[in-house]
Amino acid sequence: MVEISSDVIRGYNDTMILFILMEEPSYGYEISKKIRALSEEKYIIKETTLYSAFTRMEKNGYVESYSQNADNGKKRTYYKITESGKNYYHEKCLEWYLTKEVVENFIRGDK
Amino acid sequence: METIKNYLESMFANLPNTPEVLRAKNELLSMMEDKFTELISEGKLQNEAVGIVISEFGNLEELAESLGIEGVVGGNDTEQRRLVTNEEAMNYIYDASQNRMLIGFGVMLIIFSPICPIILNDIGAAFLFIVVSIGVGLIVWANIRMSQWKFLDNTLCCIDYSTADYIYNAKKNNMMSKALMLTIGIMFCIVSVVPVIFFEEMFSSKGLYYVMIGPAMLFVIVGIGVLLIIASSAKDGAYTKLLSLNGTGTVAGSYEAVRAEKEPYVDKKAAAGVMSVYWRTVTCIYIIWSFISFDWHITWIIWPIASVFHGIIKTIFNTKW
Repeated sequence: MVEISSDVIRGYNDTMILFILMEEPSYGYEISKKIRALSEEKYIIKETTLYSAFTRMEKNGYVESYSQNADNGKKRTYYKITESGKNYYHEKCLEWYLTKEVVENFIRGDK
Repeated sequence: METIKNYLESMFANLPNTPEVLRAKNELLSMMEDKFTELISEGKLQNEAVGIVISEFGNLEELAESLGIEGVVGGNDTEQRRLVTNEEAMNYIYDASQNRMLIGFGVMLIIFSPICPIILNDIGAAFLFIVVSIGVGLIVWANIRMSQWKFLDNTLCCIDYSTADYIYNAKKNNMMSKALMLTIGIMFCIVSVVPVIFFEEMFSSKGLYYVMIGPAMLFVIVGIGVLLIIASSAKDGAYTKLLSLNGTGTVAGSYEAVRAEKEPYVDKKAAAGVMSVYWRTVTCIYIIWSFISFDWHITWIIWPIASVFHGIIKTIFNTKW
């Protein structure tokens, strides 16, 4: 079975996370669950990947974190997208269209 | 869930103890906990859920940049610590506590030794030497037996989270019996003078031989008391030693369990130098003083005094640097 290569997907982890945060603020596990569902179980983001993306994006000002008690009373760190995060997301989308266009020219499915 | 926690703790054990690292650990644990709870509620078996969570954890290299620990994760410029395995730790506890008991018996025999001349008069002196030599022999043998564990003093070592946790609990459970033995031991030493007074009062009219039973019993009681005092800390000493192995700067060195029992590492060489000759010197002083003065009824006092000084010296060495 073909598996997704972590090298390729690395540049787009941020895009996926920001896409989910565009809807509403969320926390670690919920985000990873949504990524898994939206990718139809084809991509499972690792915990360490997720956490390092959070810290990196927070440092760059794309997301903000705050703690909040979840429904079950457990304290969780929630992440919220910022204005510059939204801009970054749109840039990444444009970048992907271009990347896809370029790579597509070199892809031939048959043998 | 315990397994997952242990897994995470051991992954983080050798990382520096900084706020960023601790935050990462807590966040990761929270995510893993959420995933685990959900898998269980979906009807997965405990083991299955643990397996999935751990396999989807990822790796620490990925975190290195965000935590500022590139060098540490790569393992390039960290001090290499020798990991004392769980099995080794158990063996050490066994050996160390047996060793303490041997020393205890050795000291007890040395304290018993004056009984021989008291009861058997002149010929007893010969037995005194035999008993003392057996006692000293036990102490020397005990020290030789422990030489295989020298590396705990000479090299930087560490223990993993589950071992530390286990030892800490064992130590806590041992507290009660330790206190009990210590108390009884001290009480023995205090009441040891009672038979001297008693036999002198009761039997002074019946001849010297009966009066001598008093001092003889004094040595027996003190001997047992000292054995109890030494034995009381047999296991505890080993627990403390193992718990103090982990470096304070790392996550593993700041487990609640370890922090409660921290002995600074730095002084080890100087302190060990003094300590290695301490009890031998005390024994020599005891024997020399006793034979010169022949005041056996007084000279035993050197043992309690020596153990008080032992405590003081240890404290000084541990706080000086």
